[in-house]
Amino acid sequence: MATDTAPEIQLVVFQLAGETYGVDINHVQEIIRMQSITAIPRTPAFVEGVINLRGRIIPILDMHKRFHLPAAETTNNTRIMVVELGQVTVGMIVDSVSEVLRLPTTSIEPPPPMISGIDVAYLKGVGKWNDRLIILLDLDRVLQESEQRELQREVAAGVETR
Amino acid sequence: MSDLDMSQYLGIFLDEAEEQLQQLDEAVVQLEQTPDDQELLNTIFRAAHTLKGSSASMGFNRLATLTHRMESVLDSLRQGKLAVSREIIDILLASVDTLRALKDSIAAGKGEEGDVNEVVARLEAVLAGPAAPVANKAVANAELTLDDIEQNVIRAAEVKGFRAYEIRVQLEAGCQMKSARAYLVFNNLKELGEIIKSVPHTQDLEAEKFDDTFTLAFVSREDADTLANVVKSVSEIKDVLVRPIVLEEDQPAAARAGTAPGKPGVEAAGGKNGTTAPAGEHHVNQTVRVDVQRLENLMNLVGELVIDRTRLTEVGNGLKNRLGNEELLETLEEVSLHIGRITSDLQEEIMKARMFPIDQVFNRFPRMVRDLARKAGKEIDFIIEGRETELDRTVIEEIGDPLIHLLRNAIDHGIEEPEVRLRQGKPRHGTVRLKAFHQENQIVITVEDDGAGMDAEKIKAKAIARGLISPESAARLSRREALDLIFLPGLSTSDKVTDVSGRGVGMDIVRNHIEKINGTIDIRTTPGKGTCFTIKLPLTLAINRSLLVHVDGRVYAFPLANVVEIIDVTPDSIQHVHRQQVVVVRGRVLPLIYLGQALGLGTPIPAADTYAVVIVGLAEKQVGFIVDDLIGEQEIVIKSLGNFIGKIPGIAGATIMGDGSVALILDVRSLMNFVGEEADRELAS
Repeated sequence: MATDTAPEIQLVVFQLAGETYGVDINHVQEIIRMQSITAIPRTPAFVEGVINLRGRIIPILDMHKRFHLPAAETTNNTRIMVVELGQVTVGMIVDSVSEVLRLPTTSIEPPPPMISGIDVAYLKGVGKWNDRLIILLDLDRVLQESEQRELQREVAAGVETR
Repeated sequence: MSDLDMSQYLGIFLDEAEEQLQQLDEAVVQLEQTPDDQELLNTIFRAAHTLKGSSASMGFNRLATLTHRMESVLDSLRQGKLAVSREIIDILLASVDTLRALKDSIAAGKGEEGDVNEVVARLEAVLAGPAAPVANKAVANAELTLDDIEQNVIRAAEVKGFRAYEIRVQLEAGCQMKSARAYLVFNNLKELGEIIKSVPHTQDLEAEKFDDTFTLAFVSREDADTLANVVKSVSEIKDVLVRPIVLEEDQPAAARAGTAPGKPGVEAAGGKNGTTAPAGEHHVNQTVRVDVQRLENLMNLVGELVIDRTRLTEVGNGLKNRLGNEELLETLEEVSLHIGRITSDLQEEIMKARMFPIDQVFNRFPRMVRDLARKAGKEIDFIIEGRETELDRTVIEEIGDPLIHLLRNAIDHGIEEPEVRLRQGKPRHGTVRLKAFHQENQIVITVEDDGAGMDAEKIKAKAIARGLISPESAARLSRREALDLIFLPGLSTSDKVTDVSGRGVGMDIVRNHIEKINGTIDIRTTPGKGTCFTIKLPLTLAINRSLLVHVDGRVYAFPLANVVEIIDVTPDSIQHVHRQQVVVVRGRVLPLIYLGQALGLGTPIPAADTYAVVIVGLAEKQVGFIVDDLIGEQEIVIKSLGNFIGKIPGIAGATIMGDGSVALILDVRSLMNFVGEEADRELAS
């Protein structure tokens, strides 16, 4: 366990296709229940659509599709995790959100080359907590790559007005 | 003033400085037209004076120096010592430009970057100009006069235990290296206190532009004799006079006692400014500056309130069904109604708070028109009407660029050279008229000129030559349709077209800008008589009247400005041309497409006895969109889809409906582009 002096990070821990993931709590704005989502035409498949979050329009990403994991059904535990990174606010659909925990930075290791679920490029590392492994997501990467696709799509659309 | 205080007031200072600069810009241009307008001169003087005061108190010395020098010139104009000339107007405008550059640099956090010496020198040259010998003499004999900034410095120094002196130094006749002597005097004195002012100006002293006397305002803790001795220690000084400066409290701006009234030196700021400036500051309405973001947030909060109100009503209805008529329910109903009324009022008030007079945009144009006209060698009367017309802040921000384009075109291509005009029996002066007014739920802005006008046939010919349109389709175009060709991108970038048609540079961009803010633009033109562009804009960008429709179980919103009409179409009246579905409406062939298809949803048209078709028009192009169901008209609040999603072809944004759900707003322009494409795609598959 962490001592008072050891540097540590606070994680929001969630489940995705049977794996345990974590993101830095500083990026998590709130966690809401699943709600009806308005689909937007001509967006990548992982963009489920948008919702109204107290007057703001927030895009919602299906993390299963985002990471090319097998599709999952929406259950009572399904949550939308609203994360904020720089100018971008998105909601991520995850299977469930389990807890918030503190993890000493010393117990975080770089991602192993072989990992069952998602592309290693999206990972910051793997944290060990008691006997569990928590996969730390690199939100920057997760959100950035889709922006690049976005750009490509705009270029492809070509005719669009400025 | 400490740094902390400075930063606290910097925002206000910059806002106010911008106001004063705009006022200066505009009034100086106007002054050129009406050189004898004393009231106008006073306005200009006041603006310069206010700017000087605030700059000095913020510690921006370059701004203060330059405005101070402007004031001197303006005062000479007021007193009739100088006459308004094109040269003086140019110099005043150059001063305003320099001030703006300084202000911008301060706003960018770089401090006062930029050189004022050149403009200051030009202003001083004007002052020393035609009445040169007299003026020089005045400098030599001037008694020391202090403006209110300098007086404030002295007052501040006195509080700290300093005393203020006037030191008059006379050099020996035929003194060699006068500037060196003056420099030594300055140097010696600086060790004992601070020189607040020098007459003549230090630059003139350095350049030996003085006879043999100079006068300083000096603050020091030393007594008069000590100072006199220090000055006398410099050789070739004939005489020194040191006497205390006594400020008159009741006349802050007037020169110190002993200065003969009516005989101000070159430096004299004049006694009037002290009294006229406050007089101009009587506001009838009390106002507060509010950050636009704040208003935006307020608007969002009210939007949520509106949604909650709807839910409250629903809950009330639900309870009523279950519990029947109970007294408590009646109260709930009442409260719900009351909240509803209050929210509507609140929404309206916040909308109003976002309204600004369009003058904010217009006031920079007189200067621009003047400069352009001068450059093009044309004579133009520029008339602005409806400055007080109010519109939403968001629209104000967007409308400036298109108007600049239109005005520039009117001057460059519309108005003819003076000689050409005379030959055609027109007055030498062309007239450009910019006008804004309200019409129902819209703002109308017109840009009108009495120039050459546009010839539809010539525009057609050019469009054909450019390969933008085939001769056959050109022949079928009406005059109006031909005029609309100037909005084609290819046509607009061609220089040659502007020679022939007299118009066209960047008109596609103008239209894009205007359509981006849900506006429309129309042309009316007569060859030889002139051209009038009419822009119609919604009152606010944030709120838009829309037609809501159902497609594939979802709600979409057509901006009502683009909707031409709604018709019912039976399946058997649909025909095919090149596999494109069309329908003939009043003799006109209209392309038809299912909205779901245009949006790329891939859903087939559901079978129906009649289809509801929304006919959408942009310029001369019209397309009919088949929808599942019409919901009706509604005011909607437009919201962006955010950075992550960015721009989606066919979608202009989103809006939140009364029940809290999200509906997408259609971007008619790009949607229409897809019509042909989807048909092609079907053909290929």
